Amino acid sequence: MAKAGKSQEEIASEAIKHTLRALRKRHLLEEAAHAPAVLALSRPIVSQGSEWKEKEENLQVELQQCYKAQSRLSEQLVVEVAESRASKALLQEKENALADLQKELTELRDECSQLKVDLEEKIKSLEVIVSENSELKAQLEQMTIKANKAEAENKMLIDRWMLEKMKDAERLNEANALYEEMVEKLRASGLEQLARRQVDGIVRQSEEGAEFFLESNIPSICKYRLRAHEGGCASMLFEYNSSKLITGGQDRLVKMWDANTGSLSSTLQGCLGSVLDLTITHDNRSVIAASSSNNLYVWDVNSGRVRHTLTGHTDKVCAVDVSKISSRHVVSAAYDRTIKVWDLVKGYCTNTIIFHSNCNALSFSMDGQTIFSGHVDGNLRLWDIQSGKLLSEVAAHSLAVTSLSLSRNGNVVLTSGRDNLHNLFDVRSLEVCGTLKAMGNRVASNWSRSCISPDDNHVAAGSADGSVYIWSISKGDIVSTLKEHTSSVLCCRWSGIGKPLASADKNGIVCVWT
Amino acid sequence: MSEAQKQVWKGAIPLQIHLHESEVTTLPPPPPALVLAPRIGYLPLLISLLKPQFSTTLPPGVDTIWFEYKGLPLKWYIPTGVLFDLLCVEPERPWNLTVHFRGYPSIVLLPCEGEDSVKWSFINSLKEAAYVINGNSKNVMNMSQTDQVELWGSVLNGNFETYRRVASKLKLGTFEDEYMENVSSVLVKSSQSTGDTDVTGQLKTGRIPVRLYLWTVNEEFDDFEDAPQIDNWDKVSYINRPVEIYKEDGKYFSLNDAVKRILPEFFLENSFVTDGDANINQSGEEGESSSDPGSCCNTLEIAEIKLVRIQGIEPILDIPFSWVVNNLMNPEYFLHMCVCLKVSKANAVQ
Repeated sequence: MAKAGKSQEEIASEAIKHTLRALRKRHLLEEAAHAPAVLALSRPIVSQGSEWKEKEENLQVELQQCYKAQSRLSEQLVVEVAESRASKALLQEKENALADLQKELTELRDECSQLKVDLEEKIKSLEVIVSENSELKAQLEQMTIKANKAEAENKMLIDRWMLEKMKDAERLNEANALYEEMVEKLRASGLEQLARRQVDGIVRQSEEGAEFFLESNIPSICKYRLRAHEGGCASMLFEYNSSKLITGGQDRLVKMWDANTGSLSSTLQGCLGSVLDLTITHDNRSVIAASSSNNLYVWDVNSGRVRHTLTGHTDKVCAVDVSKISSRHVVSAAYDRTIKVWDLVKGYCTNTIIFHSNCNALSFSMDGQTIFSGHVDGNLRLWDIQSGKLLSEVAAHSLAVTSLSLSRNGNVVLTSGRDNLHNLFDVRSLEVCGTLKAMGNRVASNWSRSCISPDDNHVAAGSADGSVYIWSISKGDIVSTLKEHTSSVLCCRWSGIGKPLASADKNGIVCVWT
Repeated sequence: MSEAQKQVWKGAIPLQIHLHESEVTTLPPPPPALVLAPRIGYLPLLISLLKPQFSTTLPPGVDTIWFEYKGLPLKWYIPTGVLFDLLCVEPERPWNLTVHFRGYPSIVLLPCEGEDSVKWSFINSLKEAAYVINGNSKNVMNMSQTDQVELWGSVLNGNFETYRRVASKLKLGTFEDEYMENVSSVLVKSSQSTGDTDVTGQLKTGRIPVRLYLWTVNEEFDDFEDAPQIDNWDKVSYINRPVEIYKEDGKYFSLNDAVKRILPEFFLENSFVTDGDANINQSGEEGESSSDPGSCCNTLEIAEIKLVRIQGIEPILDIPFSWVVNNLMNPEYFLHMCVCLKVSKANAVQ
C-alpha cells in the first residue's frame, strides 16, 4: 500500500513535470519563434502609423492652407464676378457702339460710293471743261492776234484823227475870223434895228412876225408816224417859225425831219452818248445837244458838222437851253449838281452855279438875263446869268420838276412835276395862275417834257399810258386826248407856226398830229 | 504552478491573416497581416491591428469583421487558443486565416458589435463559472464598475498581475493551495503531504466549470495528418457540464477520470471502480505495444480517447485534474478541453 502510494505520487509529479515541459515547448514553438518576426513587421507598421500621423498633420496643415487659399479664392471670385459683371456691361455697351458704328460705316460706305459716282461725273465734266479750255486757249490766241492787229490799226487811226483835228482847228480859226467880222456888221445893223424899234415900239415887233402868225388849232389826227430812233426818243424840237422837226434819241443820233412831208432830211452824227435834250439858236443855225457822255455838242445845221464840244460836266447832262435873243450864251444842267453857262464864241464855260439839288429842266427868260431851273426837290428857282446868284424860288411841286416851258409872250412859265400836275406861274410874281391835271395823265419820267402852244392858250403833255392830253388854259380843262402811241410819251412840242404838234415816245416813235 | 499560469497568459498564436479577394479593390492586393494573437483573447479584438492595414482597399460600406478558416466561419466567442487547438489537429504555424469586413454570415455566427459584445460575453461566462463554483453569481454581480473595467482591461492587455489581484476578490480560487502543497509535499515530505491531502479533501468539495469540445471520428487513422477535416460545426459537440471531484482514500482524481465522468455515454464501464482501474492499466499497456493481447478487452469499451488538448498541449492523462484546473484555466474560470474520440462502428450500430 505504501508502495502503491509512492508510485501514484510519482506518477502525478511526473505528469505535472511533463505538462510544464510541454507548455515551455509550446511557448518556444509559438511566441518565441514568431514574436521577433511579428515585432519586425509591426515596427514598420508602427512607424507607418507615425508616418501616417505625420502625413495627417501635414495634410491638416495643407488643408488649413487650402481653406485659407479657398477663402482667398472665394474673395477673388467675388471680386472677379463683379468685374465680370462690369465687363459684361462694358461689353454690351461696346457691342451697342459697334452696332452703331457698323450702321454709320454702312451709311458712310453708301455716301462714299455716291461720292465716287459724283467724282466720276465730275471727272467727265473736268475732261469736257479741259477740252473746252484748250479750245478757249486757241480762241484766245486768235483773239490776241486780232487785238494786236486792231491796236496797230487804232494807232494809225489816232494819227489820222490828230491830223484831222489840226485841220479842224485851222478851219475854226478861219471861222472865228469870219465870225468877228460878221459880229461887227451885226452890231452895226443891230444898232439900226434898235433905234428903229425904240421909235416904233410894238408896231415893229408885231410887223416882224405878222406874216407867219396863224391862230393855233387843236390837233386831232395823226398825220405821220415816224420811226425816228432805235431806243427811246427823249428830246425833240421844231426850228423857229418853221415846220422842220429835230429829234434826238438813245442811238446817239440827231435827225432832222420835214414835218409837212414826214421825210428825213439830214442826220447829225458825232455825239458819244444818248441825246438827253436839244435846243436851237434863234437863227436856226446851231443845234445844241445835251449828252449822257457828260458833254455838250454844237452842230452847224447847214454843214452838219460839230463846231464845238463843250466839256466840263462830270456827270450826264440832262438839260440845255440857249438864249432867245443871241446865239452866244448857252446854259446846261447836269447831274453833278452844277449849272454851267457857256460862251459859244469863246468855246468854254464862263460861269458855274453849284446847288445841292440836281436840276432836271432849264429855260432862258425872254430878255436873256435870267435862268429858270426846275429841281429834283420840286422847287422852281430863278438865277442871274451874270453873277450866278439865286434871285428867287418857289415850291412848284411836291415831287421833282420834270419840265419847264416859257410862253411866247414871256409872262407865264409852265412847270410839270412828278406829282402829275402841270402848273402855270406868273414870271414876275411867281404866283400860280393855273393848275392842269387829268385822271389818266401821269408823268412818265424825270425828264418828261410838256409845252405851251404858240398862242399861249393851250398846254400839251404826254402821259405814261401813251396818250397826249391837251388842256385849255382859259378853261382849265381837257379839250382833247390823242391816242396813237403804244408806250409812254416822253416829249411834246408844238410848232411855232401853230401846227403841227409832235410827240415822241419811249420806243422811238414820233407822231405828227394835225 | 505560477510558471504554468504565466505561460498560459503569455501564450500567443502566430496568425497570418489574408483579406478575402472579394473585398480587394486595389491592385496589387494588400499583403497579409502577421500578428501574434493571445490564446486567451478573442478574434474580433484584432480589428485594431487589421483595420489600418486593410482599410485602404476595402469597398465602401459598414465594416463588420469576421474570420474563416478553410471555409469555416470562426465563432468569435470561443477563445482564440481553443479555436486553434480544435481546428488545427496538426498545428500549422503561422495559422492562415481569412478576414472579412463585409457579408457577415448572420445565420452561422452570432452578431458581434465590437469590443462591447466580446466584453459582455466574457462577463457572462464569468458569472456562469461563479454559479458553477459557488452556486450563485453574487460575487460577480457585486463587483464594482471599476473592478469590471479593470478586470476586462487586464484580459485585453494580458496583464496577469492585475488580473490576479482583482480576481482574488471573487473568492473563486480555493483549490490552488491544496494541490500546490500536495505537489511540494511530495517532493519534501511524503507522509505529511498525504495527511494534508486528506484534510483538504474533507474540508472543500467543489465543482469545476468545464467546456468540452468533442470531436468524434469513425475511421481509424494512425497519424493526425490523415485525420478528416472539420468542415462544419455540426461535427463538433459542445458540452458544458460541471465536474465534481470525488476523493477516494489513497487515490487522486485524474484527468482521465474527469473525461470519463463528463462523457458517461461513451464509457459504460465507468460505473465499476475495479474495471476502471484495469482500463487505465490496459491503456498504458496498449501504448507500450500494439500487439498486446489486451485488445480483446478493448472490445468491451465503446470509445477510445485519441486526443486530449488543453492550452495547446496534450498532458498525460494521469495528471491530477485539480492541478490542471488550477493552472490551465482561462480567465473566465472555465477549463476548455478539446477531445477527440474514436467511436467504433459496432458501437455506432448499437
